Amino acid sequence: MSLSTLTKDWEPMSYGFLDPSAKREIRRKMLKAVAVPGCQMPYASREVPMARGWGTGGLQVSLTLINPETTVKVIDQGADDSVNAASIRRFLARVSGAPTTLDTLDADLIQSRHRIPEEKLREDQVLVLQVPNPEPLRPVQPNMSIARQMHADADYGRMWLQLYEQIVRSGRVMQGASYPSMVNGRHVMTPSPIPRWDVPKLHMAKHLTILSAGREKRIHAVPPFTRVEPLVFDDVPYKVEEHGDLTCVRSGAKGFFMNEIPQGDGSSTYEISDSEFGVKSIKQTEGTDTIFGETWYKNGEMS
Amino acid sequence: MLSAPLPSVEETRANQSFDALLNALSRPGQIRTLPTAGEGSIVDALLDRECRVFCADPTLLPQVLETGAMIAELPDADLVFFGPVQDAEALLSVAQGSDLYPDDGATVVVRAPLNVGSKLRLTGPGIEFHHDIKIAGLPTGFWHMRQELIRYPMGFDLFFVDGDQVLGIPRSTKVEEL
Repeated sequence: MSLSTLTKDWEPMSYGFLDPSAKREIRRKMLKAVAVPGCQMPYASREVPMARGWGTGGLQVSLTLINPETTVKVIDQGADDSVNAASIRRFLARVSGAPTTLDTLDADLIQSRHRIPEEKLREDQVLVLQVPNPEPLRPVQPNMSIARQMHADADYGRMWLQLYEQIVRSGRVMQGASYPSMVNGRHVMTPSPIPRWDVPKLHMAKHLTILSAGREKRIHAVPPFTRVEPLVFDDVPYKVEEHGDLTCVRSGAKGFFMNEIPQGDGSSTYEISDSEFGVKSIKQTEGTDTIFGETWYKNGEMS
Repeated sequence: MLSAPLPSVEETRANQSFDALLNALSRPGQIRTLPTAGEGSIVDALLDRECRVFCADPTLLPQVLETGAMIAELPDADLVFFGPVQDAEALLSVAQGSDLYPDDGATVVVRAPLNVGSKLRLTGPGIEFHHDIKIAGLPTGFWHMRQELIRYPMGFDLFFVDGDQVLGIPRSTKVEEL
């Protein structure tokens, strides 16, 4: 062993921004997260040039997985062109030299804030979700040491109580996003604030999903072909948003998750949330050849 | 516009190695390819001075020491490199973590010939229905011992390395001997 074998050549910057030791730590924790689906694994969460809470967790996972051949897609609430998505995409490309895309079918790595694309993800694709609050028990148990004990005991009674109270007060489950879901029959996780519409897409999916919370310094994962079951009562079935019969005013796409756009007269119009799917639909109407992937929802129904 | 940085040889190797490990563990039983033969690239991808390592293979030990990892006894190790396993009793003292901290369970790397030997049926997360694999060179009672020891979510995760091929069996996988 000599000094030259222990040191590395000088580099102006670590490839993919994170230093090798940060990457190794995240790698070890990602393996643990995959081994225990839905269980939150603590990790160090290094500084990245972005404020905590703006996708730093997802960004660190992406930076660890990325190489010059990884095609990256970044979305923010379904849109490729929002400020958060555009700046993360540009940063990833700048520090790794990886090609970027807007098309779900071309992507190898998809980093997403709060949506899963409408087209089905394949086996070779990895979905990275940015998570603001990884602890599903927080609304019922703010003390995180006790919450950890509750996860250890699989003591999730209060989660059902929370849903029951919502039904008693409001007549229906009010939980809109981050719907608590049982993973592999053991751990309840929050699937990050994806709408209820997207939760069934994680159940027995072909792709690997990694959920990372940078501010809360926790990482959890849903491996492919893993059961993800939203918590429900036997007599109150799980309901997704009633968007099945809505039509996008811009693209004419029907039967997908929509953004509501309030109008001056009190009515609303809707446009499709998955922006690139909308762009594809417009291109198709204009007569350009476009390739659509198979979608999770067909005619507004989960298939 | 700045030019994009190029990955160094070590970075490329670690990235490919981790890609193989992550895929192998998320789809138990499917064989992936490491960038180089043996456990060397796994050491590069995962180990540094924050880890406690148990290494039973003297040929691998110099490379493990070079990473700065702390050499530990088996019950304290985060990563275990067994080389070939001679005795199923070796699993007895592998760290399993706790129900509170399942992440303290060890990652265990074993050298064993793949695609030959006794047939196993895997079920669990990462496998749609079931997946049949063959692993040779393991002591009798190895799988029984694993099943007896693992109380999910406590447990340890296994990687089997044969040349540049790697196969992962996380603690969530149920193994049935056929």
